[in-house]
Amino acid sequence: MAILELRDVSKSFGQGARRVDAVREVTLDVDRGEVVALEGPSGSGKTTLLALAGALLTPTAGEIRVDGDDITNYGGQARTRYRRDRVGFVFQGSNMVPFLTARENLLIVGQFGGADRTALRLRADELLEQLDLTAVRDQVATSLSGGERQRVAIARALMRDPSLLLVDEPTASLNFELGVLVVDALLSEVHQRQKACIMVTHDDRMAQRADRLVEIRDGRILADRSSFETL
Amino acid sequence: MLALVEIRRRKLQFGFVTGVVGLIAYLIIMVTGLGLGLYEAAGTALLRLNGDHLAYAANSNLSVIRSRLSDADVAQVQALPGVERASPIGYVAAVIEYAPEESDTAAIIGVIPGAFSEPEVVEGRPIGGPADILIDRSWVRVAGTRIGDTLALPVGFQTREFTVVGIVDQGYFFFQPAMFVDIASWQDLVFQGDAMEEPAASLVLIQGRDLDGVRGEGWRIVTKQDGFNNIEGVQAQQSTVDALRYMGLLIGAMVIGVFFYVITLQKVSLLGILKAIGAPGPYLVGQGLLQVLVVCVVGAALAVALAILTEATVLASDTIPIDFTTSAMTTSSVSVVIAGVVGSLLSARQVASIDPIIAMQQQ
Repeated sequence: MAILELRDVSKSFGQGARRVDAVREVTLDVDRGEVVALEGPSGSGKTTLLALAGALLTPTAGEIRVDGDDITNYGGQARTRYRRDRVGFVFQGSNMVPFLTARENLLIVGQFGGADRTALRLRADELLEQLDLTAVRDQVATSLSGGERQRVAIARALMRDPSLLLVDEPTASLNFELGVLVVDALLSEVHQRQKACIMVTHDDRMAQRADRLVEIRDGRILADRSSFETL
Repeated sequence: MLALVEIRRRKLQFGFVTGVVGLIAYLIIMVTGLGLGLYEAAGTALLRLNGDHLAYAANSNLSVIRSRLSDADVAQVQALPGVERASPIGYVAAVIEYAPEESDTAAIIGVIPGAFSEPEVVEGRPIGGPADILIDRSWVRVAGTRIGDTLALPVGFQTREFTVVGIVDQGYFFFQPAMFVDIASWQDLVFQGDAMEEPAASLVLIQGRDLDGVRGEGWRIVTKQDGFNNIEGVQAQQSTVDALRYMGLLIGAMVIGVFFYVITLQKVSLLGILKAIGAPGPYLVGQGLLQVLVVCVVGAALAVALAILTEATVLASDTIPIDFTTSAMTTSSVSVVIAGVVGSLLSARQVASIDPIIAMQQQ
């Protein structure tokens, strides 16, 4: 069953001669327990697509559903709640709060309301252990390695037990070995917890590890195949 | 609390701005204290007189120095309906030599011995004769004069000796310590025995009701506060002090505003990420304002501590007219906190307007 459903979604920026069609009539489903790698050159629209799914942008046309709910026209507060409770973001590069420890970076989501803080503390410790971060849990973010920071980001994205994970270039600043560790940790969490996940990547080797590969060019889906087919 | 954790982990950055806010608050407290001190020195002796209205000569433009009232004027004022009690008082400045080669000016105020206009004596006894004088504590601190000492006041080309019989707590008049003598002695000091020109008083101190604005042929009545406000230089002096205070608050607001604006600009991407992962805008604005409040409150507390220390050390000699009162310190501190919050509103607006899409653009 699809957790994320995009139906004929388009997104344009600017008007008239300056109009740019970043995403054009994209239809895409992402199922529970599935990691979809979104591949394409810079400017192809993959990050815009991720932002649309995360309610960071509103589509110009089309419909977006998450767990069956139409989020297309959510207003300000509904968008904030949606991002807080139902989506987990992992951004490119360093996206930790630099003066907080690894554990505090996970617990910060509890300050945004709508959660039992005691349960969040237990969950933070559980996630830190699962992602092999217990040893560095009390280190401030700036003292963590790139791989540790990305694993903390994955843990933070899972803190509210969202149904959808949106991951933007998680290995861009890592070497191959660290990148594999981070992506494998992500795959393991998605499969084990039955989440849906879109992972934007430039790296073919990382994309091959996903369950499905979606290739995007000039805002349109060029190819959509399982990673098994590409082998 | 994200805001408090950041302050704790970035001590140098926030310590620096707290110090700057503290110095600005200290400056404002000092200026406020100076304003109060100057206000007191301008004429607390007038304000502390035991009456609520004053009668001036009509042509004096409410100047104590120029006001001269005759016996007839005083009698008319005393007979007015609404006047419960009225007593003439005189004023003149005199240079007093209190030690060889040591002299200072004092405000000599003539009162009728035993009348309600004679101030309460805190040490010694009231005026009992024409050669008795009451001196203010501030003179005691400056000159070291004691009860029983004699002071030589100039009368024409001669001096007349007065014996200190009591100490009062009336403060200053025209920035000079107040001294009180028999009004007859005051007349001698002012007119040097020329009986033809002797006026009865400079002013009439009145206790009564509904007298503000009442006028006679040669006199007019105002409230004691209006009389004080018309002391030469008081208004200009207070306006100057107020301008300094407002300037200090403006500078404080700008310093805090710029600091937090720069901090906000440095954190735009971080704030964008926090919004993207579900932090509500009001939560982030609230955290920013909490930091401003902490910085301003701690800065103001430091300033108060510094002011108390200054009062206990540098100002202990009482030569600088600065008066720190609890209310002045509280008002100044609260003003600094308000100015800080107002100054940070630009940052709050900036935080509120950050688009979370910025989180996706951290290439």
